[in-house]
Amino acid sequence: MFRNGRVAWLFILPALAFLLLFKIWPIGVSFIESLTTTSFRGTKSFVGFENYSYLFRYDPVFWNSFWVTLLYSAIVNPLIVLSSLLMALLLNGSYFFTKFFRTVFFLPTAISYAVVAVIWSIVLDPYYGLANSFLTSFGLKPQPFFASPDQALWGLIMLNVWRSSGYWMMYFLAGLQNIPESLYEAAEIDGASTLQKTLKITLPLLTRTMSFVLVANTAFNFLSFAPVYIITKGGPMGSTNLLMYESYKSAFVNADMGRASAITSILLAIILVFSFFELKLTKANFEY
Amino acid sequence: MKSGRLWKTTSLFIVLAVVSLFFIVPLVWIVASALRPAGSLYQYANPLTWGTFIPSKPTLENFVHIFSKLNFGRAIANSLFVSLVTILLTVFVSSMAGFSLAKFNFRGKNLVFAIVLITFMVPFESIVIPLYILVKQLKIDNTYWALILPGVANGLAIFLFRQFFSEVPSEIMEAARIDGASWFRIYWRILLPLSMPAIVTVIVMVFMFQWNSLFWPLVATHSSRFEVVQVAIASHRSTESTSWANLFSSAIAGSLPPVILFLFLQKYFVRGISGTGLKG
Repeated sequence: MFRNGRVAWLFILPALAFLLLFKIWPIGVSFIESLTTTSFRGTKSFVGFENYSYLFRYDPVFWNSFWVTLLYSAIVNPLIVLSSLLMALLLNGSYFFTKFFRTVFFLPTAISYAVVAVIWSIVLDPYYGLANSFLTSFGLKPQPFFASPDQALWGLIMLNVWRSSGYWMMYFLAGLQNIPESLYEAAEIDGASTLQKTLKITLPLLTRTMSFVLVANTAFNFLSFAPVYIITKGGPMGSTNLLMYESYKSAFVNADMGRASAITSILLAIILVFSFFELKLTKANFEY
Repeated sequence: MKSGRLWKTTSLFIVLAVVSLFFIVPLVWIVASALRPAGSLYQYANPLTWGTFIPSKPTLENFVHIFSKLNFGRAIANSLFVSLVTILLTVFVSSMAGFSLAKFNFRGKNLVFAIVLITFMVPFESIVIPLYILVKQLKIDNTYWALILPGVANGLAIFLFRQFFSEVPSEIMEAARIDGASWFRIYWRILLPLSMPAIVTVIVMVFMFQWNSLFWPLVATHSSRFEVVQVAIASHRSTESTSWANLFSSAIAGSLPPVILFLFLQKYFVRGISGTGLKG
C-alpha cells in the first residue's frame, strides 16, 4: 500500500465525479421527490413522509405489488442460481461438445429483454402459441398462461430463467476453474464418488461466487420492468404488477411523482436489505 | 473402464441436448419466422409440424427490407458508436479508480469504496426519472452524450478492477518508482497491460448494457438520428399493428453483434471473472 493521498485522489477523481453526478445525485433527487406532493395546478409542496405512510396504510394496490414482488423474487432468484449452477456443473468438463452447449445456453443472453418479452408472449399465446401446440400434440390441455392470474407470474419467471441462466453460468464456470485439481485427485484416491466430490468440494468452494450471483441477480430481478410492460401490463388482476412497473405507472400514467419516487425508494431499501442478508447467509467461511 | 467413460459421456450429451431444447426451440422458431415471406406469424405454429421450424421457401427479403428501406443500419451504427465510446471511457476511468483503491491508503477511502459498492447495487432503471431531469439541466438531452455518459458511471467495473489490481504485487511498482517512473506511467505501462482479462470482462459487461438498453434511450432521445438498435426493434411493435417480419429480422440482426463478441471473447471473459476474486 502506498500513502500518496494526492496521487490516489487524482486517480479516483474522474470515476468519483461520474458516480456522484449520474448515480448518487439522482438517488438523492429521487428521495427528496418522494417527500413532496404535486397539486392539480402543478405546484410542489413538501409533505415529509406522508407519501410513505399513505402507501403503507391506505394503498392496497401498493401492498399487492409489494407481495407480488417478494413472491416473484423468492422464486426466481433461487431458481436462476440453481439452473445456472447446474448448467455450469454439466459443462465444466472438456468434451468435444461442451463449447457448443455453452454457446447455446448463452445465446438468450445476447437478446434484449424487450425482444425476449415479445418472443415469449408469442410462444405462450393462449390460442396460437408454440407452447400450446406442444401441449396439444402430447395430448395435454392447452393452458391460458399470461391470460390467467394463477399462471402469469410463472410465465415471467420462466422467461427470466430462460434469459439469464446462461449469463450467470459464466460466473459459475469461472468459479469452477479456480478450484484446484489436486483436491479432486486427493478425493479420488480416497474413493469419493462424483456426487460426493460435488457436495463436499465443489459446492462449499463455490459459495463466494454463489453469493455474488445471488446478490447481483436479486437486485436485477427486483427491477424487472420490460417483460411486465410489454406482456402483461401488471395483469391479469394485478397478479404480475411488480413494484417497478407500479412506480412507472405512478410517474408516467398518473403523473404522481411523489408516490412513484416513494415506491422506488422503498424498492431500493428492500434491495439493500436483501443483499445484506444474502451476503450474511452465504458468507464464505472457506479459504484455500 | 473404457465403456464406463463412453456411457458417461453419452448420458451427459443426452442430458445437455434435452436441456438445450428449452433454450433453442423458441430461437429456431423465431429464425424460421424471419426467413419466411412477410405474412401471418401464427399460420405455421399450430398444429405442430416440421414446417413450424423449417421454412419451405427460405428468403432473406425481410433482412434486405429492414436495411434498405427502414434504415436499420443506422441504428446498428448508432449503437456501435455509443457502446464503443462508453467502453473506452469506462475502461479508462474505472481502471484508474481501481488502481487507486487497490494500491493506495488515503483519507476518505472507505467512504469512496462505500459509494462504489452502493452504486452497483442500484441498477439503472430505478433512477431513470431523476437522471432525465439531470440530463436536461446539463442540456445534453437528445444527444449521443445523454446515451454515453450515464453508462460510464459503473461501480461494478471499478470493483472488478480493484479486485484485479489487488493481486498484482506492489514490489513491481516500488521498483518502477525507484527507477523514476511517474505514477501515471506505472498505471499506463505496467498495470493496464497486465489487466487484459479484467478489461475484457468490463468490455463485455458495458457492451451488453449499452447494446440492450431500451428504456433509457427512449426517455433521453427522441430524434430518429439517435435511434439505437433496441428502439428500432421495438418500433416494429405497437398496440395497433405489429410487423412480425420486421420485428424478428431486426431482432436477429440486432442480436448478432453480442453473439459474435461472445464467441470471440468467451475464454477471456471466464478468465477475467476468475481473476477478480469472485472465485469460489
